[in-house]
Amino acid sequence: MAESASVPGIRQRTASSPSLSLERPGVLGSVLVAPAIFYIAVLVGWPFLLAVYLSLSNTDVATTGLGRFVGLDNFVALSQSDVFWVALRNTIGFALISAVLKGLLGTVLAFLLAENLPGTRIFRFIILLPWTIPIALSSITWKWMLDTQYSIINWIGRALGILQSNPNWLGDPTLAMISIIAVNVWRGFPFAAIILLAGMTSVSQEVLDAAKVDGAGPVTRFRKIIVPIIAPILFVGSLYDLVFTLTDMTIVFLLTVGGPANSTHVLASFAFLVGVQSGALGRGAAIALLLLPILLVVVFITLRSLRRRDL
Amino acid sequence: MAATVAAYPPRKSRQLRVLRKRVLVYAGLCFYALIAGLPVYWMLITTFKPDQDLYNLRSFPLFFNERGVTMDHVTLLFNRTGFGVWIKNTFLVSAAVVVITLIFAVPAGYALARLRFRGAESLTIGIFMTYLVPTTLLFLPLVKVIAWLGLFDKLGALIVAYPTFTIPFCTWLMAGFFKTIPFEIEEAAMMDGCSRVGAIVRVILPLSLAGMLTVAIFAFTLSMQDFVYALTFVSSSDQKVVNIGVVTELIRGDVFYWGSLMAGALIAGVPVAILYSFFLDYFIKGITGGAVK
Repeated sequence: MAESASVPGIRQRTASSPSLSLERPGVLGSVLVAPAIFYIAVLVGWPFLLAVYLSLSNTDVATTGLGRFVGLDNFVALSQSDVFWVALRNTIGFALISAVLKGLLGTVLAFLLAENLPGTRIFRFIILLPWTIPIALSSITWKWMLDTQYSIINWIGRALGILQSNPNWLGDPTLAMISIIAVNVWRGFPFAAIILLAGMTSVSQEVLDAAKVDGAGPVTRFRKIIVPIIAPILFVGSLYDLVFTLTDMTIVFLLTVGGPANSTHVLASFAFLVGVQSGALGRGAAIALLLLPILLVVVFITLRSLRRRDL
Repeated sequence: MAATVAAYPPRKSRQLRVLRKRVLVYAGLCFYALIAGLPVYWMLITTFKPDQDLYNLRSFPLFFNERGVTMDHVTLLFNRTGFGVWIKNTFLVSAAVVVITLIFAVPAGYALARLRFRGAESLTIGIFMTYLVPTTLLFLPLVKVIAWLGLFDKLGALIVAYPTFTIPFCTWLMAGFFKTIPFEIEEAAMMDGCSRVGAIVRVILPLSLAGMLTVAIFAFTLSMQDFVYALTFVSSSDQKVVNIGVVTELIRGDVFYWGSLMAGALIAGVPVAILYSFFLDYFIKGITGGAVK
């Protein structure tokens, strides 16, 4: 009774204060969120709609304003372009293969780091370098490491007796694609490991000890306790990584510029080539937009797994 | 008692087993460190190795050779290219992005974490999702937007564009951070006669300085990680940021100035890496949505 009486009292007091409306959570909330929403609407929402229009228009860099509406012309032209199909195939294959490799390398690494032996911090710093160094700078370093004449990779390979000849990594379509995947995996495995490690440390030691007492061996403990607990975390982490792998053009652009003979383009680098370097903004936007169906599936799954964990 | 003894093998072989496991773990870690560190080591060697040794197939590549070390590549980088200007530009852009991000993300993060208004939850997820809208989808229409704003080929283009990914992510991070501050502190301040706005300014903001610092560092490093926007929106040498400057201006036709290229990558990349790895744990918490305690 006393409590319910005090509530109108507070209402009255705030009602008489000058910043009346700001004291209401709904109003204050909207006021505080509005600028961020506005920024996102103007510089993400609007450009996104613009991308849709551009993809249906013949806009190029020389066009002032927006180009003429041409319906699905850009998409029809793309479906007849061999490079587009190669880029689409590369994008999907590249993303899937590197996701699997990153998962494997990352899992093993996570277990090594979880041992937390002396010196782990310094190892962690070194092993995280691929993820923490700006991707453009490491990609150009890899180009130098895979140089036709002075490749350090080839030198080490020969010294260890793995390589007999001097493969031209970036000059051969298959080897070039392998190189691109390798650099992407190199860049992403530390992230996979760190995400996994974060998940593993969230599994409480008591639960593991209890299972041990109940006679569960290491394999059972891993399968029945660790995996179910870290699965959602790993899932969000790898989806996040997948989105970036699917849409990243930096590695391709700096290692091969899509070559040799356009064999290593992914959709992102092809969109850049067409949209910026050839100046066909509309056609380029159409290519980038075709990433959307793939991304939507990925985002939809992320959304569901976030909801399920009640965020 | 007997059971306990039986469960553990004799002391000596147990020590051996622990030792063997340690050796295995260290061997594994060394393997990973070699793979991860090789490119950075290679940057280091290339930066300080004279051209005659660098481009000599007979010299041992993994260390310095008879001609020792040289500062030529670094000198060339600083004196004959715009490296100094690019570094300055990078700092300008990143600092501006940090300020913009804080102004937009801190209030939004607070509101989403604390003020329970209708749709706040969906809005939070919605904002995080915009972080996943990739630059690849946006860079072409943004060419138009940037041109309309009169910012094409100017640093301003990047200052406007980078918050499109820093604001969503940092709002999400800040919301998570505000959730960790107990409600009672705010309530106590309001009991003592503070208005809600007063409580935010006088009590909550000082308590969230650590969170804001984290967010600032992230906005900074995320801006420095970008490649696509900087490559698309800027082409004049004196407006370039360091990532783009290094990978575009040290290549003339078919000639790569590898020594200076690697010097640039080393000088620009390693400080970012150090900064980033200090704050990485917060970043991971942000991505996993606070599920990780």
